[in-house]
Amino acid sequence: MLEIADLEVAFETRMGHVKVVSDFSLSVARGECVGIVGESGAGKTQALLAVMGLLPRGARVSGSARLQGEELLGRGAGALDEFRGARIAMIFQDPLTALTPHMRVGDQIAEVLVRHRRLSWSAGRERALELLRAVHIADAERRLRQYPHELSGGMRQRVMIAMALACEPDVLIADEPTTALDVTVQAQILALLAELKRTRGMSLVLVTHDLGVIAGLADRVAVMYAGRLVEQGTARAVLKAPRHPYTRALLDSMPRLDVPSSEPLRAIRGQPPDPRALPAGCAFHPRCDLAADLCRSARPRLRPTGDGMVACHRPLGAAAGEEGPTS
Amino acid sequence: MTNALLRVVGLRVRFAAGRGASVHALDGVDLELREGEALGVVGESGCGKSTLVRAILQLVRPTSGTVVWLGRALDEMPARELRSARRDLQIVFQDPLASLDPRMTVGEIVAEPLRIHRPDLNAEARRREVHQMLARVGLPPDAAARYPHQFSGGQCQRIGIARAMILRPKLLVCDEPVSALDVSVQAQIIELLHDLKRECGTALLFVSHNLAVVRRLCERLLVLYLGRMMELGPTDAIYADPRHPYTRALLEAIPVPDPDVQPARLSHVLPGEPPSPLSPPSGCVFRTRCPHAVEVCARQVPSWETDSAGRGIACVRWREIGPESA
Ligand SMILES: Nc1ncnc2c1ncn2[C@@H]1O[C@H](COP(=O)(O)OP(=O)(O)OP(=O)(O)O)[C@@H](O)[C@H]1O
Ligand code: SF4
Ligand code: SF4
Ligand SMILES: [Mg+2]
Repeated sequence: MLEIADLEVAFETRMGHVKVVSDFSLSVARGECVGIVGESGAGKTQALLAVMGLLPRGARVSGSARLQGEELLGRGAGALDEFRGARIAMIFQDPLTALTPHMRVGDQIAEVLVRHRRLSWSAGRERALELLRAVHIADAERRLRQYPHELSGGMRQRVMIAMALACEPDVLIADEPTTALDVTVQAQILALLAELKRTRGMSLVLVTHDLGVIAGLADRVAVMYAGRLVEQGTARAVLKAPRHPYTRALLDSMPRLDVPSSEPLRAIRGQPPDPRALPAGCAFHPRCDLAADLCRSARPRLRPTGDGMVACHRPLGAAAGEEGPTS
Repeated sequence: MTNALLRVVGLRVRFAAGRGASVHALDGVDLELREGEALGVVGESGCGKSTLVRAILQLVRPTSGTVVWLGRALDEMPARELRSARRDLQIVFQDPLASLDPRMTVGEIVAEPLRIHRPDLNAEARRREVHQMLARVGLPPDAAARYPHQFSGGQCQRIGIARAMILRPKLLVCDEPVSALDVSVQAQIIELLHDLKRECGTALLFVSHNLAVVRRLCERLLVLYLGRMMELGPTDAIYADPRHPYTRALLEAIPVPDPDVQPARLSHVLPGEPPSPLSPPSGCVFRTRCPHAVEVCARQVPSWETDSAGRGIACVRWREIGPESA
């Protein structure tokens, strides 16, 4: 469905050329959910904005991103607009920035349909009502006539999802869609995305820094660090038997309910690197407990492992093939 | 009772909401914090967590009720005593960068409480204290001469903690101190707070909407909903046996990074969102979302029941619901 290959994103800044995404390749099958995890600054959002053609002018993008064989990168704004919204749509962490403040939410959804599907305004509004119901907004008729600021954060996120669904896209990209929400509302939105994926056969790319969010939805997981993929595989393989020390460390740093509260959280020391000054060799080496001399000089390539990929000189559970160490 | 560091008694905060209407941001909160103890306050957005913090810090005036600090009501304290209470009562905010003055160096920021409350220290002694504190919270030695914007979110939070802890306060209030941070950095900050609390004997009032985070730091937990207390008690007891339907719902909503478990957790999520505090439901305020609500819940405000193990709950049905029926 969506094939991203050798994607690279760089910015020209006063401090020179800064690469924020390198060698990024990922494929998403029909009806599949791929989760992309990593800390802030890992390049998750930049990679997907590049695919959507939404990066600012100063950005330099190379590589390829094909939607059912058709290239998305390097299109003029007009041609891309046909795709955007119609066949591939994106939702963001903060719906307020993506919604128009002075327009009723019903009209915003209808407008998408008027523009992309040439519906009349009245047909567009009717469809908007159906869409609000599809994302389980209670009292949809009333909400239709409200402005974004009159809605709660969770409700706005539902409106944004309704808008993204308007043209029945083949692929929905969700960038930290629940990060700003309460756990309860987060669970509701994730349940909604799971339902939409199941009932509409939609492909889903879910970006998050929370492995718990990924675990409920993703069929496959890709882990990014410092602009590169460091691990990829089925959700079960990556979350239950991670091969990359960074993935392991991310899992360990999560507060868990099933260990005694007297046990310290295992934080990852240091912080994600500045893309302007990446460490030599493996970018994770200053924070990695397994780092050896080789790690400080040579960058590990992404290599196949069983049914996934890992970029590490000393992957966990190396000898065991399919079976990595279980926690 | 007398050795309580902080007591909150019958606290109500009402905000005018125009056209004669009012928002009951807090409606009857009673709690007590002993020296060195950590209390977590959890609940969804708008449940009154920040209002509680602001009322304790005297940043909003309660409509009724009092905040008692070391046996004295804060709103009746003479200016001099209030000053010394302020010194012992410090806060760390949610947004690390926004809470630091961008024109001051990190050294100046961390030294400021010393300048105000410890006039006995000379510049050299102050500098020494600041450097020790910066090292203690894990910042590099050259941090003192730099400005906040040169630091990441996690590091800014360390700066905020250094500023709050430099006077070794008796109580540190944290309002969502890690919710803006990445998971890996969250864990660092939680562990730092955990260690500082133990070393300095500082009590902690830790506000969060993340129950998994609270569990590591707090011996006791308070669950708020729409400005009311739902459940209170020892953290381990509440996690092992949550009695209030709302507490259960909050715990069940925490995402677990296990693909064999998490999809099923998503299939029974708490529906809806908190109703408007302008017109709270009659009876039990949680009843519009509660899976166990019955007719009596709409008629009767649940009374606050306590037991000998220090647990408290406001639910008319908690005994019949039984453990974890879901
Ligand atoms: N200055 C104010 N004027 C009017 N209403 C207010 C004011 N401050 C808070 N409120 C209202 O009081 C209620 C409690 O708010 P509060 O900020 O204490 O919640 P919270 O639990 O801290 O939420 P969050 O998790 O979003 O930080 C909310 O309904 C809020 O809208
Ligand atoms: S390559 Fe080396 S430093 Fe990098 S993750 Fe693997 S072991 Fe750690
Ligand atoms: S009092 Fe009734 S509505 Fe309220 S929590 Fe208990 S069972 Fe639910
Ligand atoms: Mg708050």
